[in-house]
Amino acid sequence: MTAKQHLTRFSAIVLPLAAVVGMSSAAQADEWTPTRNIEFIAPANPGGGWDTLVRTTSRVIQEEGLAERSFGAINVPGGGGAVAWAQIARDSGNPHKLFATSPPIILVPLAGASRYDHTSFTPIARLITDYSIVLVRNDSPYEDLPSLIEAMEQNPQLSVGGGSAPGSMDHISMAGLAAAAGLNASDVNYIPFSGGGEAMTSLMGGHVEAVITGAGEASGQLGENSQIRALGVSAPERLGGALAEVPTYQEQDIDYTFDIWRGVMGTPDMPAEAVAYYEDLFAQMLETDGWQQAREQLGWIDAYQDSEEFGAFLDEQKEQFSTILGDLGLLGE
Amino acid sequence: MEAFNNLMYGFSIALEPINILYVFAGVFAGTIIGMLPGLGPISALALMIPLTFGMEPSSGLILMAGVYYGAIFGGSTSSILLNAPGVAGTVATSFDGYPMAKQGMAGKALAIAAYASFIGGTVSIIFLMMVAPLLGRVAVSFGPAEYFSLMVLGLTAVVSLSDKSLVKGLIAAVVGVMISIMGIDLQTGTERFTFGTVHLLDGIEFLVVALGIFALAEVFYMLLKGGGGKEQPRNAIGSLKLSKQEIKQIAPPIGRSSILGFFTGVLPGAGATIGSFLGYSMEKRLAKDGDTFGKGNIKGVAAPESANNAACTGSFVPLLTLGVPGSGSTAVLLGALLVMGVSPGPAMLVDRPDVFWGVVASMYLGNIFLLVLNLPLIPLIAKILDLPRPLLLSLILIFCMIGVYGMSFSVFDLLLLLGFGLLGLGMRLFGFPAAPLILALILGDIMEESMRRALQISGGDWSIFIDKPISMWLLIIAALSLTLPLIKRVMARRSV
Repeated sequence: MTAKQHLTRFSAIVLPLAAVVGMSSAAQADEWTPTRNIEFIAPANPGGGWDTLVRTTSRVIQEEGLAERSFGAINVPGGGGAVAWAQIARDSGNPHKLFATSPPIILVPLAGASRYDHTSFTPIARLITDYSIVLVRNDSPYEDLPSLIEAMEQNPQLSVGGGSAPGSMDHISMAGLAAAAGLNASDVNYIPFSGGGEAMTSLMGGHVEAVITGAGEASGQLGENSQIRALGVSAPERLGGALAEVPTYQEQDIDYTFDIWRGVMGTPDMPAEAVAYYEDLFAQMLETDGWQQAREQLGWIDAYQDSEEFGAFLDEQKEQFSTILGDLGLLGE
Repeated sequence: MEAFNNLMYGFSIALEPINILYVFAGVFAGTIIGMLPGLGPISALALMIPLTFGMEPSSGLILMAGVYYGAIFGGSTSSILLNAPGVAGTVATSFDGYPMAKQGMAGKALAIAAYASFIGGTVSIIFLMMVAPLLGRVAVSFGPAEYFSLMVLGLTAVVSLSDKSLVKGLIAAVVGVMISIMGIDLQTGTERFTFGTVHLLDGIEFLVVALGIFALAEVFYMLLKGGGGKEQPRNAIGSLKLSKQEIKQIAPPIGRSSILGFFTGVLPGAGATIGSFLGYSMEKRLAKDGDTFGKGNIKGVAAPESANNAACTGSFVPLLTLGVPGSGSTAVLLGALLVMGVSPGPAMLVDRPDVFWGVVASMYLGNIFLLVLNLPLIPLIAKILDLPRPLLLSLILIFCMIGVYGMSFSVFDLLLLLGFGLLGLGMRLFGFPAAPLILALILGDIMEESMRRALQISGGDWSIFIDKPISMWLLIIAALSLTLPLIKRVMARRSV
């Protein structure tokens, strides 16, 4: 809503969002550079996924000398992102303000907890992705995904823990998996914990039967002597490192993938030149050694999309998520 | 013997000159961060991640761990002197520390806090070293049902914390639970008590309530009472020295609370704040002079201070042995370790013994540094009480506001601070105790979430709380701790 209201004000200088996306060509790219330091907002407390993304990218950009102005990491916690979004939405057209984003920018508004969604802001670039991973205890009777799904079918009480609230990433990922395997999305007895770590502890202690969480977060837990076993990852093909042994859903005849993508967005109606500048900057950053190193350590996978592709991808994601949330009865008004 | 060899190996790392420097820098920065209300260890640690990049993982963790336990160590200072807790873990310290300061024993209170912190820290490092690998199992043995029962046991302390009127204590506790569940409910996504504003979607930050109800309310109260100032004579720092009798008095509480604190810290999600409250209420119940708790009893400073430092060290157990962060601060540490290319977990003790043993050894060193650093500073820092009252009150006000604003950069939180200050003032004027509210605020939401989680797992069957042995025992102890004092009283009356 708000984005549209602002369009009139800015249409003289800036084209509407859709056109910006279409026309941000190289011709405009080298025109604009930041005139002051860039505020790079993590809409959450220090330590989480958004915060890590913001701090890591700021550091790499700084160390590799990619930008003349520095990127200052700022934490604006609250409402699963909603507080920061409400602030940023008021700063229409400001080319010096970016924020880290991921599926909650779609899920939180769909659940009715934010007035602003991805269409309120300017997509800059998708950077990386992680995948979901389904874990059970080492001594669990479930050897693969189909056997777990079958058990869930027979016993709807079978508890599956996750690291986030109902209707957020882990739940959607699990519900989508169940639906793809022939169950009802709402048949999953999803137990929300306040973080992937807490969910995994509960799994190790045998308090829940299975856990779904981020593959990157879980990779440190797998390997020899591990108390937990991975049944599958939501990636289209096998991942590397500690996760090389873990089969994908598709290998187990469940046609479903789920991305936990992360990217960067800017203020509503950010000028096209600025968008082009940042797109370019982040594309360059992904090529640097410093980034490669950091990315590997954090278990992230490059998944770059420029502003236009990212915008289209977000629209697609919204459709997909609203179907699942609808099945779960979690769509907000 | 193996532990000893490992420890020697750890010291060979911790005693490298650069690492000694890191330990010192870490605990020094931590002490200062801890003293300032608001700037807590979590944000300080997050700010340090870029610094540690490129460091040896053992050095990086030595530095960051130093900041973390240094902050808990230093947090007691402002709790005692200003009634404004520096970090959440030191709220309970103000219950008796601040009254002591008002009675002219600030020096003694700070000294006790320093000794208790040192002993709590050191005892728990010994535990960490000897039994950490085994304790991983203890940490995971607590599921939702067990957490619920532990929180119930914690809440029974409301009875002992509500000195005069039990009804008023219970009312305060209910308000505390209500504040704790504000925001988006994790189980259903429903908003509770948010009044339609986004600022309340995540609930209210604990320190906003604590600073409001303790520090700000104290400022208001002093203003209301007018220039009185008699209860606080000038140069009222007092001696730092403890008499033999006092040492005898605080030794058992420090010992007990160190152990209790350590195990509380081991449980993911419990941590220093809950540890300090459990330590405080345990000692209050055990003490013969329990009714002087809250009025400046030295045991009331010793217990929470040893417990919170022990819990801080304990929280490294799930982090280092399971790779699971038990608290916000250790979550940031986990992130930092990952960036440095170390994944904590069961394999770490084998793959990267340098990190584990290096940090353990550095903690011994860090605790000694903290003691040596803090003791000489006490007379200097305590001089703050010599300030003329108008200056002192303004200073507390500014501290609280900077602290709260620095946490969230939100003006809304400043208004909340003011609101809780007024609430705290009202509670004081009408004789409602503040401690039960704070306790319920800490425990309430964990208790509620755990209960619902447990019931969701069991399919709505309440027997899950009794079928699980740990949970059952915790509930039995809770029931006993509620009924024993009553039975005792009845027996006493009969025998008269």
